[in-house]
Order: sequence, then structure tokens, then C-alpha cells
Amino acid sequence: MNAIEAVSLSKIYHRSKTQALSDITLTIGRGEIFTLLGRNGAGKTTFLRIAATQLMPTKGRISVLGHDVRDEPLEIRSKIAVVPQEGSTIGPLTPWDHVYLTLIARGLSRNEARQRAEKTIAQLELLEYRNQPADSLSGGLRQRVRVAMAVATDADFIFLDEPTLGLDAVSRRRIWGVLNEIQKEGRSILLTTHYIDEAEILSNNVAIIDRGRLVVSGSPAELLRNVKERVRVDIVGSSFSPEELKSYGRVVKLAERFRVLTDDRRGKELADEAVRRGSDVALARVSLEDLFVDLVGRVEE
Amino acid sequence: MLSITWLRRNLLSLVWLFATPFSLLFIITVTTGGRSFPLGVIGSLLLVLSTVGTGLAGDATWYRLETKLQDFFVASPVNQLGYLLGIAFAGLFFASPALVVLLPLLVYIGLPLFTLPLVLLSLVGVWLFSSAIGYLVSTFTSNLRNGWQSGLLLSVLVGILPPVFYPAEILPRNILIVTYAIPTTNAALLIRDAMGGTPTLPYWSPLTGWILIILSLAIALAVTSRVARWRQP
Repeated sequence: MNAIEAVSLSKIYHRSKTQALSDITLTIGRGEIFTLLGRNGAGKTTFLRIAATQLMPTKGRISVLGHDVRDEPLEIRSKIAVVPQEGSTIGPLTPWDHVYLTLIARGLSRNEARQRAEKTIAQLELLEYRNQPADSLSGGLRQRVRVAMAVATDADFIFLDEPTLGLDAVSRRRIWGVLNEIQKEGRSILLTTHYIDEAEILSNNVAIIDRGRLVVSGSPAELLRNVKERVRVDIVGSSFSPEELKSYGRVVKLAERFRVLTDDRRGKELADEAVRRGSDVALARVSLEDLFVDLVGRVEE
Repeated sequence: MLSITWLRRNLLSLVWLFATPFSLLFIITVTTGGRSFPLGVIGSLLLVLSTVGTGLAGDATWYRLETKLQDFFVASPVNQLGYLLGIAFAGLFFASPALVVLLPLLVYIGLPLFTLPLVLLSLVGVWLFSSAIGYLVSTFTSNLRNGWQSGLLLSVLVGILPPVFYPAEILPRNILIVTYAIPTTNAALLIRDAMGGTPTLPYWSPLTGWILIILSLAIALAVTSRVARWRQP
């Protein structure tokens, strides 16, 4: 049984007449970390909210852990936990209160709630803040508290809607570590993020959504294998004319640098030539970000 | 838990909840030369309880839109009624200091102690009814400002306008019958009855008062559980 099976899933917000999702067919395996990537308003949160039984779909079918979201929401809710996007903590409660009381509300015994809260607070490095009022904590720490509220549960499937938004690099890596530990326990994770490096590092599989439509899905490695250009050459400065660069491959302008996407041989040639001309140059394999920009388009080329 | 911590750090919250009911009690007592003091105490008690209930229109909107706590609990084994009761109890705690003053005062001015359990039961009915409609309204509210304003409006409709601070007998018959639909009216009449001043009103007796409280509460809870937006459409 898969964690999620969506078939021709669509969502229309009638009030704003917005087609948020259009004919999405997607399967998410059990025990995997699956990431939804997309620009703002692409439909990631809508998909996650439908799967988490917070929002009704308009058309199509979606089941979570074998249960239909329309007809069997109660069966799903007993097995999931969610970190909603852009929420906040509750002023005077401490991180400990947030995590412990969430577990009590979900029906865990006091003893189990205490043990789980202790473990999660330590995992997310919140020990030194555990008894401080949440409104005295930084935004990053508060976000870690919100993640802890979901992670500490015994849910089989955890949904995280942009859990690392606004966090510093160290905090993000701490959360990645915790998500990996959860996965090792056999639990499934659905993640939405704007950080493509996060998706590439964490995910078993990703899906790119654009304007409510599924553009592509698969493992990061599979997706990159299908990319025509294998390497990227970043050149800073203007030692090459745009026409010259275009003769090596596809050119993307990124602020003060040009990025040329090409094959291995041409990439090496261009990098060597750039060195000869005294330009700052970096040669690397194409990343998921290159694929994302390519597929979602709409960048200045 | 939230309420205890909140009160400990925001003692001014107490002043806010004392302010309106005790101001009305003061005005009523002074303007009637003390004759309506018992009605003022009954009205204040009911206003406090209905206000913490209808205040959920603002509180629950805040939990839904700002903290996303409702989304968090929708996707969990906690059901809508459990969530409603949880946030309603949190609100009730804010009323407790006023209750600690007003309930003994009610006994002091003539409520027989043996009737206290029944009076408390009617107060619970008022609080649950107000909480249910406050929560119901919150689930349709799309911004926080509207949430707080709806709470204030509901508080006036449930806790001030019905005959709780003044004798029901002075209302025109048609309006009086309409106010029977609001549990604060029946709770006020039942408390007056318990204090020995059984009101003589058309179509009303203590038994009908209880039936009406139970009926209005059952309808409020049924409508809330069917209509309130737990999962968004």
C-alpha cells in the first residue's frame, strides 16, 4: 500500500475562481521522503492540505495510507501529523508546553507524552529553551517548536509545509537530520519547500508542480539523468560575448554571471577558455535547481 | 494551561473581564437606589459567562488564521467537538476570577445553597451555547478584526440585550417570547426562581425554562457540528 495515491486530482477555489490543482496523478511510496517543489502559488500547499484532510478536493480521487480523503478522513487523521505553513506558536506557552500538550491532546498517556517530548526537544536542540515562553524565542526557534509538535507524535505520515522557511543553515540541517531519523523509523514524509538543495539532499522522490499541473516527478537522480545538458559553467564578468557563449550551449543570465548549460566536453572546453581569458569560472554538474528553472521557465534568459 | 500561563503574565486580562459586567452592576445598582442589585448580580454573572463563550468568535479565528492551530488539529485524531471544548475551557478560565466574586455574592443576597448545583448547571448551558455560536461564527470569519467584532456583537446579543439585567416582565409580550430562545433569558429567570422570586410570564415556568435551555443548547451544538467549517470546502 502506498502512502498517497492521487488520480486526476483537481481543486478549484470557487470564491476566487482559481484552479489551484489540475488533473494531478501522483504516487508516494510508504517510508519515503517526498518533496513537492514549485513556485509560489503553484499548488503545493493545496495538494498537501487535501492529502492532510484539511481541504476538500473538487474532482479526482486521493487516498492516504489506503484511506480515501473524502470518505474516510477519521481513519487518516489518526495516522498523520502536520506542520502547517506560516503558523505561529502561542505566546506564553513554552516549547515544552507546546510539544507535551499536543501529545496529550492526541490521546497519548502522560508518561509516553513526556518521553516523546523530551526526546524531540533534545533532537531539535531546544533543550536550553524548553522552559522559556515561546514569544521570547527567535523566529527560527519558534519554527523548530512547531516542527517538534508534529515530529513528536506517533503519526505514520508527517506533512511539513515549508518547515524550514526562514531558518538559518544550521537550523535547516538540524531539521533535515530529524527528518532522516523519522524516515529510519519507517514513517513517511511529505514536504513542500522552496529550497531546491533541501529537496535534492533529503528526498527519495520529488514532484515539480507549476500552475496547478504536475510537470515531472521521480527521484532527483532520475530527473537529472533525463536532462539534456550534463554540466553547467558559471562565468563572472564579460570576457565572452553572449553570442560566443551561445555557441557552447544554453545560456542563462543570473545577475552578474552567465550560466552555460552544456555537455561534458563543451563544458570543459568553455571552462578552459574562461581560465585562459582570466575570468572567474566554476564548472559543476547540473543540479535539480537547473532542472527546476528549466522546467518552470520564466527566468530571464 | 494556556489560560493559567496567560493570566500569570497578563494580569490586566482580569481587569478587562471584570470591567463591563461590574460597570453595569454599578450603574444598575446606583440608578435604582440598590433595588435592582440582585438583578445586576445575575446579569453580571450571565454576561461574564456568555462573553467568554462568544469571545471564541475572535479567539478561534486567531487560532485558525494566525497560529494555524485549527489546521494542526484537523489533521489529527482530535475531533471538532474536542477542539471546541478545549478552547472553550481555556476561555472559561478567564471568567473564573469574576465567578469567584459573583457566585458567593449571589448566595449572600439570597440564593439558597441547595439550589446552587442547578444554577451552576444553567450557567454551564449558557457558557456552552455561547461557545458553540462563537466558534461557529469564527469558522466563517476570514480576518481577525471581523472575528473580534463578531464576538463583541454576539456578547451584546446574548449577554446584554435579553432580560438578564432587567426584569423580563417589562418586555412587550412578542419580544419576550423571542428572548426565550436565548438561554441567558431562561438562566436569569431560573436564578430568580431559585431566589424565591418566581417570575410570572406568559408560557414560562421553571420546567419550560430548563427545556428551553437544553433545547437551545442542543440546537446550537447540532448546528455547529454540522455547519461549522472544520475541513475547508
